[in-house]
Amino acid sequence: MPLIELHGLTKQYPRVRALDSLDLTLDAGVIGLVGANGAGKSTLLKILLGLLPATEGSARVLDMDVHIQGREIRNLVGYMPEHDCLPPDLSATEFVTHLGEISGLPRPAARERTAETLRHVGLFEERYREMGSYSTGMKQRVKLAQAIVHDPRLIFLDEPTNGLDPAGREEMLDLVRRTGQEFGIAVLMSSHLLGEIERVCDWLMVIDEGKLKKSGAVAEFTQTLGALEVEVEGDAATLVKALRERGFDARGGGTLAYVALQEAEPYDAIRDCLVEMEMGLVRLEQRRQSLEDIFRPEDSPTND
Amino acid sequence: MTERAAGNIYDLGYRRYEGRRLGRWDAALSLYVHGLRAAFGLGRRTRSKIFPIGLALLAGLPALAYLMGAAFFEINVSDVIKAEDYFSTNIFFPQVALMLFVAAVGPELLGRDQRHSILSLYFSRSLSRLDYAASRYAAMATAILALTLIPQATLFLGNALVVDNFGGYFRDEWKQIGPIIGSSLLISVFFAAIGMVISAQSARRTFATIGVIAPFIFLPVLSGVLISSLDNLAGRLGVFLNPFFVIDGFTYWFFNATPDLSEEHPMMRAAFSGGWYFLFAIVITLVGIVLLLRHYRRKSL
Repeated sequence: MPLIELHGLTKQYPRVRALDSLDLTLDAGVIGLVGANGAGKSTLLKILLGLLPATEGSARVLDMDVHIQGREIRNLVGYMPEHDCLPPDLSATEFVTHLGEISGLPRPAARERTAETLRHVGLFEERYREMGSYSTGMKQRVKLAQAIVHDPRLIFLDEPTNGLDPAGREEMLDLVRRTGQEFGIAVLMSSHLLGEIERVCDWLMVIDEGKLKKSGAVAEFTQTLGALEVEVEGDAATLVKALRERGFDARGGGTLAYVALQEAEPYDAIRDCLVEMEMGLVRLEQRRQSLEDIFRPEDSPTND
Repeated sequence: MTERAAGNIYDLGYRRYEGRRLGRWDAALSLYVHGLRAAFGLGRRTRSKIFPIGLALLAGLPALAYLMGAAFFEINVSDVIKAEDYFSTNIFFPQVALMLFVAAVGPELLGRDQRHSILSLYFSRSLSRLDYAASRYAAMATAILALTLIPQATLFLGNALVVDNFGGYFRDEWKQIGPIIGSSLLISVFFAAIGMVISAQSARRTFATIGVIAPFIFLPVLSGVLISSLDNLAGRLGVFLNPFFVIDGFTYWFFNATPDLSEEHPMMRAAFSGGWYFLFAIVITLVGIVLLLRHYRRKSL
């Protein structure tokens, strides 16, 4: 059973088309949804939750139609919004327990699972403190806790690392990865940072201006598209130019050039170019290409 | 903190929830109970309790004062304060306490969820938008009911206890119970409808509170001007603009009592029978509820 199926999904606002005929099938796992701000990520999540109606097309989540079975879907999913959503004068325990009850847990179960969930996300000692005194990282953890307190089958995380410092970002990504892999809850996580998706996700979908640009396994993107890293004595830009003239996909600057590994292997061409330019070769090695390399510069969802 | 937390995770492991899952009505009931507690600041800081509980005490003060008078000075309080007068403009300040309570609690129940963007968390669960609005409204109406019914019940039971013959008092006065409950209920749902519709319009507490109080101040003034300046039906209809007169009107109607008012009193000049006030309150309540539900159905997140 597919986790999510989209058929011609379109959302038209009065002035802008937020989603444009999305067709896609996604299976369980940790799925990354990448796009620049305003690409339509949040709109897609809200449609999948049944919070927004689609203008055209259909969407199914956990084999249920979002339009007809929105309530059933919402019983089985969790949602962590991008924006701040925590009342400052309540403790994490009170708040998560309350939302656990609203999600259908009987009160004793809600209390028990709140304690467990807060511990899982790394908040335990602080759980009785008012949330107004929490750091951004702690608030993000509470937001994740309320999304999984009722043990959903799928969670939607909208920019879970937003506003976090690098250390907090790492911790949150680790939590997302564990949620997907250890807790066994499927995750659909939106982000405008490819590096994050690469770290935690199995599957990647890229949307831009409401259109689906790419969808596939992260491993597929990063492994099959290898690149050579060439370190030279001199200006790598001239090497890049020479390789491009010979039809190779090369880029770089300073002393480093990157050359995509294509069907026609570039080894001989690199050697010839270096000889022609009388440039010393320091190092040549195959580099596992990152998503950032693949999508830069033409897709460039990492600019912001 | 993270290392310790990670240690805990590996020690305990994540457990799936295999227990019972409740439905939509239980979620709505849970939100209702949560709202009712929030209305009185229960489970919140002391500061959150001061206003609602203070106003509840203020609304009950006449009942308590007269009862204490009765206990210490052996006055038969039923002679001094009648049930139908308790929330009338004759005593006035229980009405004002009710108005201030609505103005304080409405924004707390609705504005808070908007201010802190909690609505998307509620609506991403099985609770629908209408369930949310209905639960919040019901919590507000019940909270007001506590302010209207408890003083009346205190007065009634107190009267029964002060007289020597408890059974006799009950036999004579039991017919008061229906009107007490009926009028208290209608005051509650009527004020809750007005207060919640206005409170829903702003996430800012100050604006919402001022917005709730404003019609209770300006409408009576407008009502007074209309009645005194126009000697026709339009002028007479002005009496319905004053929510306090509306309460007076249907309360006397419930008790089948004649208000002890001078000929110059606007209600006497308007000369509408109590049933009209009752109907008006019902219509305004229903319109208020529909507007509140519509507001949340259309609200963008």
